[in-house]
Amino acid sequence: MKGFLDYALGDTFFHHLNPLIKLLISLLISIAAFISGSHLFIAALIALNLVMAARAGIFQRGVMLLAGLLKFSAFIFILQLLLVRRGNPLLHLPLNLVITDAGLSSAFLIVLRLIAGTMPLAIMLSITQMSDLSNVLVLKCKVPYKYAFALTTAIRFIPIFAGEMAGIIEAQTSRGVEMDTKNLFKKVGLILPLCVPLLITSVKKIEDSAISAEIRGFHLRTGQSCYKRYMVTAGDMAVLAFSAMLIALACIF
Amino acid sequence: MITIEGLTFQYKNSNRNAVEDVHLSIRGGDFLGIIGESGAGKTTLIRAINGIIPHHLPGDYYGSVQIDGEDTFDVTPSAISLKVGTVFQDIDSQMIASVVEDEILFGLENYSIPRDEIEARLSGALDAVGISQLRYRNISHLSGGQKQKVAIAAIIALRPKILLLDEPTSELDPQSSLAIFRLLKELNEKHGLTIIVVEQKIMLLSEFVKELAVMKGGRLLLHGSVRNVLKNTEQIGKSGINCPRVATLSNRLTELGVKLDGVCVTLDEACSMARRLMYD
Ligand SMILES: Nc1ncnc2c1ncn2[C@@H]1O[C@H](COP(=O)(O)OP(=O)(O)OP(=O)(O)O)[C@@H](O)[C@H]1O
Ligand SMILES: [Mg+2]
Repeated sequence: MKGFLDYALGDTFFHHLNPLIKLLISLLISIAAFISGSHLFIAALIALNLVMAARAGIFQRGVMLLAGLLKFSAFIFILQLLLVRRGNPLLHLPLNLVITDAGLSSAFLIVLRLIAGTMPLAIMLSITQMSDLSNVLVLKCKVPYKYAFALTTAIRFIPIFAGEMAGIIEAQTSRGVEMDTKNLFKKVGLILPLCVPLLITSVKKIEDSAISAEIRGFHLRTGQSCYKRYMVTAGDMAVLAFSAMLIALACIF
Repeated sequence: MITIEGLTFQYKNSNRNAVEDVHLSIRGGDFLGIIGESGAGKTTLIRAINGIIPHHLPGDYYGSVQIDGEDTFDVTPSAISLKVGTVFQDIDSQMIASVVEDEILFGLENYSIPRDEIEARLSGALDAVGISQLRYRNISHLSGGQKQKVAIAAIIALRPKILLLDEPTSELDPQSSLAIFRLLKELNEKHGLTIIVVEQKIMLLSEFVKELAVMKGGRLLLHGSVRNVLKNTEQIGKSGINCPRVATLSNRLTELGVKLDGVCVTLDEACSMARRLMYD
């Protein structure tokens, strides 16, 4: 998932939404996904996510995100499939395991929910500048700047670490280590030791970043320091109303 | 005015002094270049001036650093930053925003610069380092050199009285390096900024700065006007730095008894020296 959460520059309707509204609608869509018990409705939410990604000019990233989440949920799917024992048996497996129709249905539901619940936030964070997010948290939610900054810095560092990891893996591959093995256990065995150097450089990076903020007057900042203004526009209200409607629909379906 | 007296610092979990017994006084309006091999303690000295040492990096600290009579030990780095702006060596980790514009805004907002002044400062700083076209770009997609310019613009916008730069041209091509030094010279001469710059390219450095300091093993080996320092070809060589060829040439000639009026710093000076020697 290259570029995951890395800010995607753009000038679309979704980019210009108020950062707080972006957070709010992704939250509402996630809630809708968890309220609804209908496979179809949740699948429609996932489709809606892809449409939003497309309108925000990051369709490809949306698809990559979906693919990544699908891979990730495969494990949960199988687990759920094997653990649910009620319903009509469809298939008997060795070790006294059984696959039932109810298990199949709930496994699908969980995976769909997981995907539909995760995508909105990932998409919205991709098109939100972290500085804007911390600014509105301070201005509108009265979060102390220190905490807002810490939160947004943490999010901002995710793609940086991912890039770093990719760099380390590339370096290992070029030294002849077979990092692209399909064997999951082997791969984990190869990646795990790399996490130590990553952790060390990461801690140093965060420390340096904090120092850099400090010597540019971080501690002098007041709640009203922010230059940009963040308004809630008609467009913001419209998407908010739409998301609220999704919740209502989720309650029905 | 910066006064450093007997500064000695040893990082925690290190067994040698990173800087040792450094005495240095820098007047307002100075333009000082610091040079020295890797590990000589240049970055440590910079950190001691802007207060990161001792406030953020633990270790054994002796001596004192005073800025306008105020000991950096007693004030926070944020308070020091009102006077002292720093561009760090590690460019990536000093970026705190995702878009260039926000990177520059960060400091301006922190200092509560009035709204009607912010735009002028923002575009002025971008323009000064020649990156106006990068204003709305994503920082993570910029080249190393472009990021370096963003970091410099972010500090210049704050208009500090004292500017510290730790290898600000390490990722820049020769043309851009020259442009940065021209800008520093202008800031120094026109706006009276005190500038301290750490730099590996000694030719570039000696052409622009007024004073040079040579460090080795944490100690200040030489300090003085560019011309006075460059007279010491041998000592500079011992510190792991190659003295500029033109300076070495004129030093050798002087040793051989040729009458010259001082050491050559730039190629142009060497040329006119050669011309004089040939025709006189
Ligand atoms: N954070 C740190 N923790 C422990 N030791 C450090 C730290 N930073 C630097 N040192 C040590 O202090 C000494 C001086 O380092 P410093 O970074 O000041 O050198 P430098 O002259 O800036 O070198 P370079 O040209 O490579 O940037 C070195 O021996 C280095 O290993
Ligand atoms: Mg250094």
